[in-house]
Amino acid sequence: MTVWESIEEFLAEPTTWSGPGSIWARLAEHVLVSLAAVVIACVLVLPLALWLGHVRKGSDIATAVVNIGRAVPSFGILAIAFLILVQMGAGIGEPWAVLITLIALAAPPIFTNTIAGIQSVETSTLESARGMGLTEGGVLKSVEMPLSMPLIMEGLRIAFVQVIATATLGALVAWGGLGRFIVDGFAQQDMGQLIVGATLVGLLAILAELGFSAAQRATTPAGLRASR
Amino acid sequence: MRRAFRFRAVGAILGLALVAAACGSGDGATDGDPIKVSSFNFNESVIVAEIYAQGLEANGYEVERSLNLGAREVVKPALESGEIDLVPEYTGSVGAALGVEQSADPDTMWEAARAAFEDLGVTLLAYSPAQDKNAYVVTAETADQYGLTTVSDLQPVAGELVFGGPPECPERPLCLQGLEEVYGLQFAEFVPLDVAGPITIAALEGGEIDVALLFTTQGIIAANGWVSLEDDMGLNPAENVVPAIRSEVADAYGDELVALLDSYSEALNTEDLTEMNKRADLDQEDPALLAGEWLAANGFVEE
Repeated sequence: MTVWESIEEFLAEPTTWSGPGSIWARLAEHVLVSLAAVVIACVLVLPLALWLGHVRKGSDIATAVVNIGRAVPSFGILAIAFLILVQMGAGIGEPWAVLITLIALAAPPIFTNTIAGIQSVETSTLESARGMGLTEGGVLKSVEMPLSMPLIMEGLRIAFVQVIATATLGALVAWGGLGRFIVDGFAQQDMGQLIVGATLVGLLAILAELGFSAAQRATTPAGLRASR
Repeated sequence: MRRAFRFRAVGAILGLALVAAACGSGDGATDGDPIKVSSFNFNESVIVAEIYAQGLEANGYEVERSLNLGAREVVKPALESGEIDLVPEYTGSVGAALGVEQSADPDTMWEAARAAFEDLGVTLLAYSPAQDKNAYVVTAETADQYGLTTVSDLQPVAGELVFGGPPECPERPLCLQGLEEVYGLQFAEFVPLDVAGPITIAALEGGEIDVALLFTTQGIIAANGWVSLEDDMGLNPAENVVPAIRSEVADAYGDELVALLDSYSEALNTEDLTEMNKRADLDQEDPALLAGEWLAANGFVEE
């Protein structure tokens, strides 16, 4: 059977398009958990990162965090989180272990880019803002945050694209998502299923990339756009 | 900066891939090359592979291990292409993968599989009396609730039950395929888990699945009071443990190597396997140590 035939065969199966194992169901699971991971990571790290950036203290921490983030393997976190959660009584097939892994993956780029973004605002700009009578909170909200928006959004983009790609690991611990097609396709030597799954993950990552680029442009203050 | 880093990373990965490709080309094994011992990705297979590996080492052979390699879909091609030389197989399962007729008689099953595998350059040596078949396992509560003792008993209720097993199960003749063709079982749902490992066991314990694919030699079945449903229509063939070795390697090393592996197969029995599995799966003992203990207990190596 050629690769094309096996792709056609997979796409022709009714279970590919309807039911709990369909492309739609897996896509929804994948996107939902990825989004949740990035949102939770934001809630966890944004306040601290904004404050550290504002008081100009975070450079060392930011570097350390990004280095740790790069060094810790997602699959290791996933395996450990899965085993611990099962011991604690979590059900097989529930997304919690994957969610924890993806939050840990998403947090470092968001944290680091936010600190770097806030700190990149020039001191003279801040002095002008303070001179105009803005409070420290006002400086952060009206000057530092808008000016660092491109970098903050860049952090979110990196986090989200990585999360989309890494969520595929969930299938190795009996969760769903698009990784299911890759893991099952590999186990069953079903090239069609494997290729369709991998392609969908790739497309989703590209879509996320494009979506965030658009959002990045939209959130960039008008004054910064000309210089880019 | 980031972009430059990325390009360098890509370059490094490509470089590694080239090196790996250059090193990976399997050439004909000769007397003197290390024997590459491998196993499937579950404890029992690792234990038996360790028995082979440690036994060979104790007799002066050089051994290279790549244990826990994967499912048969990965291991069989690796064996045929010479990436690995020796792996503990199961007569019925390898026969099914080779497309030969299944038989519950150990001799018939072994001969059929041996003939088919020989054509691919792999020799099945003498088989061991130790057998490990696929087990279709339910909890005691499920067995009571539906009155289950045999696989046939599942027929009226399969539509309400969830089946859990390895991801390759739907395409395996001894798993979902066979259960459907031989027993006419259509489960409500199939949940892809792992190869009778911690995930499948936790799923059966937690009630996420009702029927699990485990192995008959797994100590956990008795330890948890679970019920292994009797294969009353004989879906499962004989599944004797058998060393599968590349013919080229067996020829290069000759009778001495074969006699050594034969002696391990002869001494190994189903009770030993079940006991070692229990200690590896439940008591988390190291498969390599268990294998060493077995070799010593059976007088193959000094303690």
